[in-house]
Order: sequence, then C-alpha cells, then structure tokens
Amino acid sequence: MRISVEINGRSHEGEVEPRTLLSDFIRHGAGLHGTHVGCEHGVCGACTVQLDGEPVRSCLMLAVQADGRSLRTVESLAPPEGGLHPLQAAFQETHALQCGFCTPGFLMSIEAFLREHPQPTEHEIREALAGNLCRCTGYKAIIEAVERAAERLHRP
Amino acid sequence: MKPAPFAYDAPRQLGEVLELLAREDEDVKVLAGGQSLVPLLNFRLARPDRLVDLNGVESLAYLRVEDGALRIGALARHADLERSAEVASGWPLLAEAVRHVGHPQIRVRGTVCGSVAHADPAAELPVALCVLDVRFHVRSVRGSRVLGADELFLGFLTTSLEPDELLVEIEVPAPPAGSGTGFAEHARTHGDFALGGAAALVAGEEARLALLGAGPVPVRFDGAPGDLPDAAVADLSLTGPDAEWRRALLRELARDALERAVA
Amino acid sequence: MPRREDVRFLRGEATYLDDIELPDLLEAAFVRSPFAHARLGAIDVEAALALPGVAAVFTGADLGKRARALPAGAVDDGIVADAGHPVLARDRVRYAGEAVALVVAESRAVAEDAAELVDVDYEPLQPVLDPRTAAGMPLLHDGVADNRLVTWQRTHGDVEGAFAAADRVVSQSFHIPRLVAAPIETRGAIARVEGDVLTVWCSAQDPHRPLAQLGVSLGRGPDSLRVVVPDVGGAFGSKGVVAPEVAAIACAAEDLGRPVRWTEDRAENFLAAYQGRGLDADVELAVSAEGRILGLRATLYPDLGAYLYATTAVAPHTTAMLITGAYDVAAASVEVVGAATTKVPTGPYRGAGRPEAAFLVERMVDLAARELGLEPLDVRRRNFVRPDAFPYETPMGWTYDSGDFERCLDAVLELAPLARWQELRDAARVEGRVVGVGVGMYIERAGGLWESAVVRVEPDGRVVVRTGSSPHGQGHETTFAQIAADELGVEPQAVELRWGDSGELPGVGTFASRSVAMGGSAVASAARELAERARDAGVSVTDLGGAEAESRFSSGLVFASGAYAALVEIERATGRLLVLGLAAVDDSGRIVNPLLAEGQVLGATVQGLGQCLVEEAVHDEEGQLRTASFADYSLLTAAELPPVESRFVETPSPLNPLGAKGIGEGGAIATPAAVANAVADALASFGVRHVDPPFTEAKLWSLLREAGP
Repeated sequence: MRISVEINGRSHEGEVEPRTLLSDFIRHGAGLHGTHVGCEHGVCGACTVQLDGEPVRSCLMLAVQADGRSLRTVESLAPPEGGLHPLQAAFQETHALQCGFCTPGFLMSIEAFLREHPQPTEHEIREALAGNLCRCTGYKAIIEAVERAAERLHRP
Repeated sequence: MKPAPFAYDAPRQLGEVLELLAREDEDVKVLAGGQSLVPLLNFRLARPDRLVDLNGVESLAYLRVEDGALRIGALARHADLERSAEVASGWPLLAEAVRHVGHPQIRVRGTVCGSVAHADPAAELPVALCVLDVRFHVRSVRGSRVLGADELFLGFLTTSLEPDELLVEIEVPAPPAGSGTGFAEHARTHGDFALGGAAALVAGEEARLALLGAGPVPVRFDGAPGDLPDAAVADLSLTGPDAEWRRALLRELARDALERAVA
Repeated sequence: MPRREDVRFLRGEATYLDDIELPDLLEAAFVRSPFAHARLGAIDVEAALALPGVAAVFTGADLGKRARALPAGAVDDGIVADAGHPVLARDRVRYAGEAVALVVAESRAVAEDAAELVDVDYEPLQPVLDPRTAAGMPLLHDGVADNRLVTWQRTHGDVEGAFAAADRVVSQSFHIPRLVAAPIETRGAIARVEGDVLTVWCSAQDPHRPLAQLGVSLGRGPDSLRVVVPDVGGAFGSKGVVAPEVAAIACAAEDLGRPVRWTEDRAENFLAAYQGRGLDADVELAVSAEGRILGLRATLYPDLGAYLYATTAVAPHTTAMLITGAYDVAAASVEVVGAATTKVPTGPYRGAGRPEAAFLVERMVDLAARELGLEPLDVRRRNFVRPDAFPYETPMGWTYDSGDFERCLDAVLELAPLARWQELRDAARVEGRVVGVGVGMYIERAGGLWESAVVRVEPDGRVVVRTGSSPHGQGHETTFAQIAADELGVEPQAVELRWGDSGELPGVGTFASRSVAMGGSAVASAARELAERARDAGVSVTDLGGAEAESRFSSGLVFASGAYAALVEIERATGRLLVLGLAAVDDSGRIVNPLLAEGQVLGATVQGLGQCLVEEAVHDEEGQLRTASFADYSLLTAAELPPVESRFVETPSPLNPLGAKGIGEGGAIATPAAVANAVADALASFGVRHVDPPFTEAKLWSLLREAGP
C-alpha cells in the first residue's frame, strides 16, 4: 500500500505492507532514526512520537494508519539553525540522560505534557513520566529537568 | 516482533465494517485504538486474516449526553473521557477510573469500547461500567441487540460478541440522584496491569460494588454499604498460592472505593 | 560539568546499531527452542526456504566447525567444565529460547514468517531446574559429571577452631532470584565480509571481548576480524559477552556476500540474553558473645543455567571472594557448587556477584546482632577493617587497596539522618505501623587488568584521545576529556574522544566499573607524558602538533565501598513495601565528575530497588520463563522513585594516578542489602527472621498474617 505521512512538516511517501509498524516506517521508511524501538508491546515508551500533537506509541500503530496524518518526532524539537529546545537544554543541565536510548521518547511525551500542564506539581510530573521507562538514570534528574523546563517555558 | 501478514481495510461507513466482519471465510478483527490488539499482533498471539480499521468511520467518533444518558461511541478514546467536563460532573466514576488506564500515550489512542470488547480482566473501565448499569449496543449485518454487563463479559478475554458483531456504543444512564462513586486499584508499578481494583456506587442505603481481579470477569455485588466489603470478599472463590492476599487486597480496595463513594 | 555528547542524543542524531544503514542489508531471525530440554532431531527448512524474500536458512549442522562454541571462561583456582555456548544448537537444546536455526531474509517480518515454517523435530527431555539438586538429575552435558559446571573452594585460617570457640553460630539460607538486565536497547549486530575481512558492528560494552570471543568461535585473528561499537543504549553487563547469534550471522554474511543484521527484539532479549544473579546460599557465622566475628562458612549454589559464557563464573566467584565484606574476619571457608540447569545462562549484571556478597554478609551481621541481643551498628563497628589496616588482605585472598568503612557508616547515619529515622520508626510502631530501618555496607571490586590510551595533539591544536574504554551511558566523552584536559592544561572542549573500533586500539573493555580507574588512568598517563614533553621543550602543549603518546595502564584490583541506609514501611492491609527514604554514601576514591558520578549512583540504586520491589525472573516447572515480557517483568517508573540522598566519601586509591575506584555499580550492590535489613527490622517483632527479595505485597502480607493479629 502506498502511504504519505507528514513528519515534522515534510511529506514522506512509501510503499508498506498493512502490517508495517509506524515505528519501522518512521525509522526505515522515512529515515528518521531519532525514534527508537525498545519493546514493541507498548510498555517502554521509547518509540513515543506525537500524532496531531498528542503523544502516542508508534510501535502500537500501523504505518497505514498514519496515511494522511501529521506526526512530530524528536528531530522536530531543536531549532533548525542549531542549539537545543529548552526541554533538551534542561535535560543536559541536570544529566537527565545517560545512554540516550529512551530520551527521544521522554522528550516527545514531556513536550506534549508541558503544553497541557504548564505548571505541573512534582506528583503530576512523576505520574506523567511513568509511561516512559529509563534503565540508566533512576529518573531523579529527569524529574528535575521537567521542573526546570516548565519554569523556563512558562516564563512570559 | 513483527505481526504475521494480514489484509487490511479502512472503511468510512459502519455498514462496510459490518459486512467485512460478516465474512465467513476469514478471521476478521477490528482495529480501533490498537493498544491491546497491536501488542498481540506483534507477539503473533493474534493472527487474523484481516483487520478492519475503524478509525475512518467518523460516525462512530462521539462522546455525548443524550436524554440524560452518556453515549460513548466506538471511537471515543480514553482521553476523551478523561478530558470531558460532562463526564467529570455527571459520571465522575468514569473520569476517575479512566485516569488509571495505562499511561497518557495509551489513553490518547485506546478506545473505551475497544477496552470493553477486549475484556482483559485487568481493565479498569469494564469494572467501572459494571456498577453503572450500562447497556452495550451491538450491531451486525443481522441486526442489533442490547446487552447488560452481566451478559457481555463471559471469561478471560472473552465476551458474548459474535465474530460478526461490533460494539458500537456504550449507553451509561445517569447515576441515581445524590449517589457517590469511588474507584481504587493496585498495580505493581504506576500504569502497570492492575492486580486488583474496585468500583463503588453508593446511593443512600444501597451500594453497588464491582471487583477487578476477583476472577476472569468483573464481579458485582450489591448490598448495604457497611456490609459490602467483607460480604463481597468472603464470597469470592479465589485460587492459587496468593489467594488469601488477593482477598485481603480486594477487601482493602473495596473499602477504599466505598469510602470515596460515601465522601 | 554537563556532558558534551548529550547534544547528539537529545537531537535524535545518535547512531545505535539498528540505525546503521548499509546497502543490500539482509535481516535475521532465529528459530528458538520451545522446550527447556530436548533432543534435537531433523530440521526441515524446505518450506522456509520457499518463502519469497528468504535468502538462506542455517542450522547448527550447516555451520559445522565454521562456528565453534563460544569459549567458557575460567576462574582462578577453580574447575570449570567445557560447556561453552554453541552458536546454533546441535544434538540437544538446553534452555527454552536457545537458537536452533538462523533465517536470513529481505526483512525481519519475512524472516519471522519463515522461522515459523522451519519444522524441527524435538524429543522433550526432563528439565533440570534446581541447582541444589541438579547433581542427581539427567546429565545435561556429556562428560560433565553431576552437571557440575563450576567448582571452587577456598579455606583460610582455622575455621574449625573458630566455630568451636564461638559463643554462638548464626545460620541462614538465602535465595536470591535471577534478574533480567533489560537495557532499553536490546542486543544486535551487523556482519559484513569484504574480501578476507569480517567486520562486525555490535551493540556491545566494548569491541575487545567480541573480537576475542568471535575470534575463537570463527577462527579469525585481528587481521581478519574487526569489531566496531556504535552508540549503545545501555548494557549493565548484558552486552559484555558477544551473543552466539552474532557468530551465526557472520557465517551467513560470508556465504551470502551481503551484510546481515540481527536486531534482537524484546521477546528474544527476555528469553535468550544472559540473566543476572540467581543464587542459593547457606551461610554460617561464628561469633563471640560481644559480637566479634570469628569465622565464616558458606556454600554457594549459583543458578548458572545451561552453558558457561566467558563470564558466567565471574559473579559467583566474586561473591565468594567478597563474602567477608567490610569486616576483619580471621577464618573463612567458602565453596561454590555451580551446577547446570536448563535455563538461559547467567552472566554479569550490574554488581555481578558483589550484590549477592553484600546481601549475604550484611544480613548475617544483622542476624548475629539480633541473636546476641546487640545493636547491628555496634556489631559492624566492632568488626570493621580498621583504616590503618590497608592494604588489607581478605581471607579469600583479595587485597583491599584503601578504604574507611567506619567513616562511610558515620556519613550515612548523618545523611539519612538515622537518628530521625529511628524516631520516626519508633513513633510509627506505637501507632501499630510496621516500619523498619536498615543499613547495608558494601565492597565493590573494580578496576584491574589493563587499559590503553593514545593521546595525540593535532597540528591545529585539537587533542584527540583514543581509548580502549567504551561508553554506553557512562559519559566517557566528557570525563575522559576532563582528565586529558587537566593534564594538558587545555579546555575540555578542545579534546575529542574516539573509541569503539578494535582496529584502532586494543584494550580490555568497559565492565566492573573500571573505566575511570583504568581507562581514565591510561588517558592521564599518556596526557601527562605529552605535558612533560611540552614542558621539556619549553612550548605549550598545543604547539606540539603531531605529537602522540601511548599508554597501557595496568593495576591490581581497586576496591570501592560504601554504606547505604533505608527507611521502609509495610502497609499492613496490602503488604505493600514503601521505601520512605534511601541514603547512599559511596567511597569510590577520587571523583572526576560529581554530576555524572551521582547519576551512576541514582541509576544503580533504582535498579537495586527494582530487585527489592518488583523484579524477579521466574521459571515454571517446565523450565519456561514466565516473566517473558514487560507485561510480566516490571521495571520501576518515575512514579515509584523514593527520596534518595547521595554523598561521596573519598579515600583515594594508591593504585592509579587518578586515585579513582569505580562508581557504576555501588547502588545496585548496597541497596538490596540495606532494604533487606530494613524489612527484617520492620518484621522482627512479628517473629520473622528473614525475607528474600523481591519483597512483594503477597509475600510480606502473608508473613504478617502468619505472625498473628
């Protein structure tokens, strides 16, 4: 089946089988490797992208379901001219990543979360983060990064 | 883990969906949110010949109040329930229960009807719907029928839906005036499958309780609020090495849910 | 100092194994045994081969001698069986998930389709599940009597005398379950043959061990084999030994003339990646009435699994060597009885034997204190190796380079703060709540062997450091740049780190928390040499354009240590364990980058907590892994994180120029010991003597209930 998916504002076309997972299309069809595959059963969250601005697990969608839809992946966060999105900068400052494999999934989940909850409590942050697994950091630095980013993004 | 091959249709009309489901020469499954089905496909535990993708049937995408009842269409997402002001004020039990469903990413895609039709015993919404005396509207090429909760859930991942039937709507009557509701659950980690849960509705001297994790389907008890946790839990026939712990856990969760309902 | 490498990871521009694109790449899937133990009969691949898109199917017979079993690792003064892991199973399969055939196809999906069509004749045999009783069971390996894979014994001092003289002998049996390392990136490799040279890209902890192990299996030396390690998404020990599957795809790549990739999926990782821990132990402590430890005896029954990898014996050996922990014990006798079971083999997983040692000795100390009616902290102080006793040789024969255990203990008591925790506990108990406080000391054996570095100043003044160490989250790009920059007197930004290519620089690798101590020291030595050259020449380092210095730094083992404390509550109604606070004091010698070091502590601690709260690899009576996906094997999320305070004590190591030890594993080593002691403290008044991890709701609730109302 031929599909056309808008990813980060650009159109990506490809020939897929119905069973092709969206995560595989993003990575190997569109060549965007920032989205990672950790489990293919919807638990680890490494594959999280945004569909119409909402965080979804791309391993639980078929590529054909994204035909004609608009996605954002981690590659869309940093400004094209260079530098980092405030959330990414916060991650670097607090050492919220070690091996980096889970990081894009966290970023896409959190970016959406902060848009909907610009002034979250620590409790709300922890619950929001529970949909992404990290095996390296122990989470404390990630929570701090989200708090820091929320402050900065909320500044008028 | 990649799925076994399958044919795929994405119809725009409910009639087409039902016709595809009616095919006798193929094992046809419905794809709505995919949060339960796609993992099974990836593990090759489900190997349908054909998937019918419901997501293009706009007529099924609704969550509305009509004649005082909440009507949840087949494509209403968990997130829609979570964000709806009408649900929060009129059916707070559902608003509370849905927040326990997995994680935000799951709730964005997963559908309420899909969760019910999947009938995972660890699912939160079936148990919550159980105390609300809901009606399940089912369609097929052969016609329509309406089921109560006690008629829908048969066993582990099994409902009384025939292979050609689609759960098109869940109709939730307004809870009795002045009633209160509560939900409680316990999982190993946040968002993990619930090991036990309870949904409660208290209206004066009448209480309804439904338990998650007491068996392969939600288990409902009615009685006086004071009697309920103990009576309900004592009645359960639980097996396995941790049976007594599960009984204690369910008692605790039932008490918690009832307390919230009364508060 | 924040990490420079973060930018590419944050922007999604890192290159992990599955991100590597090569032309004509084929994908691999494996046919895996559904039985824990079976005779392997005929394998019919016709239907699989006929599927469009399938390039080839290989069985063990097809590979023949081209791919020999991976080497089994030896252990000092021990006996290990010749039971290396075959590349593809031959006459028998010995664990559910063992690879039986390799399918290579145009896509992973097609390869999986074809794998299902491979028809294998299995004759199921009896599974062997319990290492304690494996000796009497059917033989798993011809010629390996009693199913004994590893035998090791050491006695030092007058153990008999110590036990005879003891006022009390404290005895306890322990069961430490297996764990799954579960890095978020699974294993994987790409093999490509061009001419005589096989290149393997491997998601691995370093290129050196795959180079050596594949070399043995495939009969290739460094001139015909090159291993390249890309960005790696975590390992925690599970990517140290090369997977036998990699040798299989190497053969396929050679035959097919096209590169072949194996990206392990999560289901395979659960089944076939070597698991961690898995130990039954019987321990006895001979103590005086005043709480002095006179002697220790232990028999360890590690659940090694079906085969020996190069490092399978390392964890139980390490447990045995560290069994006396932070304590000055004159006489000890330890035996390791390592029998085979029909399970996936075990191997190092964060801590690799040290968590088990800490768990055993710290529980024994608390039990001894309880039996003697003494305070556990007093018993510890009475028995610590004194600060002036270093270098201290343990009864088992390792020499602790430096340390101050009492200082660590005092630091954690202040950090917790223990006095406040004890007040909280006592007040809670009056209310009928079940609360406990526990402390766990730890010793971490780190460093050792050697590591290499080449430091070169480019004509434009940039510094390029090549290291044999290989990061997979540890932040070497930043830490090693700091080390080099310090020695050279330049800015860290001017230093670039290169690693991960066996063709560029030989080395030993990244494991056992050795990178800063060994790799960092090699970098420091080479950089220091350049700095001296510049000084002698009267120029600045950046004017040395084209100058290069190489260092191979070797040293004996270094020993990090620490003390952790935990405050816990057990909810009576549900049995749920709440960790209310965790305090971590780590002495890993001189700390180069405090931000990164703390990150290691927090990450390791949460893995340690996972072991306490939810993680356990469970096999059923058929030898099937019941916890075979994230649906059944839970990892902790941010929502479960308790308050954790971390502090460092520094007793530098005299064994390397940095004074460094190792910080990567302490949290995983000490946390279970501290939490276990806290749980036992909470349950003591309920007549409960000991609880093994994980401390699940059902387990704790049942114990409370048995104790009565």
